[in-house]
Amino acid sequence: MPLGYVVAATVNAGWDTIVELVFRPRVGELLLNTLALVLITVPLCVVIGIGGAWLVERTRLAGHKAWSVLLAAPLAIPAFVNSYAWVSAIPSLGGIFGGVLISVLSYFPLVYIPVAAVLSRLDPALEQSAASLGLGPWRVFFRVVLPQLRLSAAGGALLVSLHLLAEYGAFAMITFDTFTTAIYDQFRSTFNGAAANMLASVLVMFCLLLLLAESRTRGSARYARVGAGVQSNPQRLRLGMWQLPAQLALTGVTVLALGVPFWHVGRWLVAGGAAIWEREDLLQALLQTLGYGLAGAAVTTVLAFPLAYLVIRHPGPVSKVLEAANYISSSMPGIVVALALVTITVHNLPAIYQTSIVLVAAYALLFMPRALVNLRAGLAQVPPTLDEAAQALGKPPLVAFLKVTLRLAAPAAAGGAALVFLGIVNELTATLLLAPNGTRTLATQFWSMSSEIDYMGAAPYALLMIVLSAPMTYLLFVQSKKAAGQ
Amino acid sequence: MTTQPHPSRGTSAAASAARPAVPGSDSRTFVHDSSDVADHLQITGVHKSFGGTEVLKGVNLDVAQGRTTAIVGPSGSGKTTLLRLIAGFSAPDSGRIALGGAEVAGPDKWLPAHKRSVGYVAQDGALFPHLSVGANIAFGLPLRGKAASLRVGELLEMVSMDRSYAKRRPHQLSGGQQQRVALARALARQPELMLLDEPFSALDAGLRVATRKAVSDTLEQAGVTTILVTHDQAEALSFADQVAVMRDGKLAQTGSPFVVYTRPADRATAEFLGDAVILEAWMEGSLALCSLGGIPVRRPPVQGKVHIMLRPEQIRISSGGPIRGTVVDTDYFGPETTVRIKLEPILVDAEHPRDPHQPVGGETINIRHWNAMLARPGTQLSLKVVGEGVIFPWQD
Repeated sequence: MPLGYVVAATVNAGWDTIVELVFRPRVGELLLNTLALVLITVPLCVVIGIGGAWLVERTRLAGHKAWSVLLAAPLAIPAFVNSYAWVSAIPSLGGIFGGVLISVLSYFPLVYIPVAAVLSRLDPALEQSAASLGLGPWRVFFRVVLPQLRLSAAGGALLVSLHLLAEYGAFAMITFDTFTTAIYDQFRSTFNGAAANMLASVLVMFCLLLLLAESRTRGSARYARVGAGVQSNPQRLRLGMWQLPAQLALTGVTVLALGVPFWHVGRWLVAGGAAIWEREDLLQALLQTLGYGLAGAAVTTVLAFPLAYLVIRHPGPVSKVLEAANYISSSMPGIVVALALVTITVHNLPAIYQTSIVLVAAYALLFMPRALVNLRAGLAQVPPTLDEAAQALGKPPLVAFLKVTLRLAAPAAAGGAALVFLGIVNELTATLLLAPNGTRTLATQFWSMSSEIDYMGAAPYALLMIVLSAPMTYLLFVQSKKAAGQ
Repeated sequence: MTTQPHPSRGTSAAASAARPAVPGSDSRTFVHDSSDVADHLQITGVHKSFGGTEVLKGVNLDVAQGRTTAIVGPSGSGKTTLLRLIAGFSAPDSGRIALGGAEVAGPDKWLPAHKRSVGYVAQDGALFPHLSVGANIAFGLPLRGKAASLRVGELLEMVSMDRSYAKRRPHQLSGGQQQRVALARALARQPELMLLDEPFSALDAGLRVATRKAVSDTLEQAGVTTILVTHDQAEALSFADQVAVMRDGKLAQTGSPFVVYTRPADRATAEFLGDAVILEAWMEGSLALCSLGGIPVRRPPVQGKVHIMLRPEQIRISSGGPIRGTVVDTDYFGPETTVRIKLEPILVDAEHPRDPHQPVGGETINIRHWNAMLARPGTQLSLKVVGEGVIFPWQD
């Protein structure tokens, strides 16, 4: 749907307007900024993610259990909170350097988590066979281990790139202009102008190119483990003299990614004292955030269920098309989804324009895949024979489905709903554009305060967002470890 | 029951006596020469295709009340599809299925699984992982509370498990226990027909035999008509009163275990049901002349050049035996040894001069023997044959 909107907007604008709007120095500058951001940040995230995962999972790193959690933890800090902390630390931070710094620190766990999950499940027999064929540890890593990480690393890199394209708050805070910040500014100044739409369509092109690139990397590769048998635990490599440098490197990453945000949020909290907690806005924002989070999670999960069921139980052309459409729309930045919904509601459904219905719909569009991935995995683990067994015991198909399949898929649905909830709590862009007047969520309140340089007042919101995100991040981390085996 | 006439079917025809092929015929009771029990399950001309591939090509099967039938066949032969049609998980494209005289599937009628009085035990047991053993067994019961837990206790005892198991979770049970709980759950509603879909194949060898025996005893006590689907011919022969051999979407032969094993309808059935020694032979009267001498054949349908089938256990190593053979090599298995023996060509005596078309013989065969010492390669052995052979038409 957002895709259709972009295409329609492009067609409406006409060729001359497009040329005029797209081919101008401003767009060139944005293009350069965005490209540089992606091209520098993604490789850095991949290196840190794979390096960290390998140290944690495959070496005798002292305290590797603690490190494995610490390296995933930055995901609980929304990028714009990270940005806020860094601006507090270095007020002059900005430009491509600032953009890359904050992006890498916020997003490297998106590579680290899936890669660590695969590494921990990787059959050590492969490495042992390679070693017995005369390969040294380094060559084993590059020729055997690394190729096996390709799928998970490429998937993580895609996620990082999509986040980079979609992020608004973090870059706006350090006044680093990307397509998304430019679209937002255009929209705010001209409201639904052709310029914003054109920029959006360029952004969408980017996203589609990324999807294409990722699916090319993925190729038709499948990693099969032949035969059953119990897999032995991986052997950890001795680090020896490298122990200290490894510890120092991980400490450095953690201090930058976790220490700085916590230190500065803490500093503002202490400076603000009790006064900043006494504003009634805070409670209101918390309640509204919880309300939107719960409503959005419920609606998204309910909508995802039929799709997941279709994909698992009745795979066919219809379910494939639906899944692909969902996949593409999920890669659309929040700002594009928001613009599409604004246009559609203004023109066709003015009654619901700027109501919470539209906002929840946007959340559902944005976060459907999180629910879907979990539901698919959950449903796949419920064999159809259970449903049949219930039917043979005299239960009509619907009752059998409710008592068996739905019941067994419930934990997976809850996990998916939790991740949707996490996304909604930290969502800024679409919420800013679509929320009814007077809406205050943690993210928007944090945003308006920190934009007014009320860093002290913003700190409690930052803390609450981190506190709400932390358990969900942990859940995601645990789930990825479980899912990697399948 | 096969639709093609087969020369050597012999008594196997008895169990699957011909009945009118007219669909919709009202005569529901057929009297068999082997039993007076009316057919409890009747399957007539059932076809089923999936996406253009015909999986069942006209299956006919009758199962008598209280009897156990094993449908045995290689994987892909359509046996599980047939079981799912009987259970009501899917509908046949054509043909009829009647249970206890009432049609459950036919041209204008189809009852789904939950409306049929059928019990079903899946390959992995399909116990509901979110329910305790007791709740699993009580799943299909209309009872609640104390009445339900009493009945659950009875059912657990019926499958020789202690009542205390009711509180356990399925994952705390061994594979064999899970299958017995699945059986108890299926028996709870006292179904007219019990369907077992390879319920023992996931168990390891020792447990398989014990569980099979326990299940078979339970079902016999309960007196439930049972159909077992399996690809394991030994399991089929030991478990069932009637064995239906399925191949390529059809039942190649139906009969008692003894009949289908000793008098298989065709060569493929013979080789599927167990090891077979197949030799070239010359049929004259009721005697087949082959490398193992003259073997008696009951009611031979053809004369002249044929193949003869013997089971390896019919061929004995015996010091006074009339047949000579040379040991080629052996495979030692502990309790017995497989011995490969090269036979002499077919003997020709003066009274019976060789027909120009007569086969030469001199094949190499595999037999089993308990004494590994007897059978060193190169040793000359004397052999004798016990019992009759079965002949199949000649095929090059």
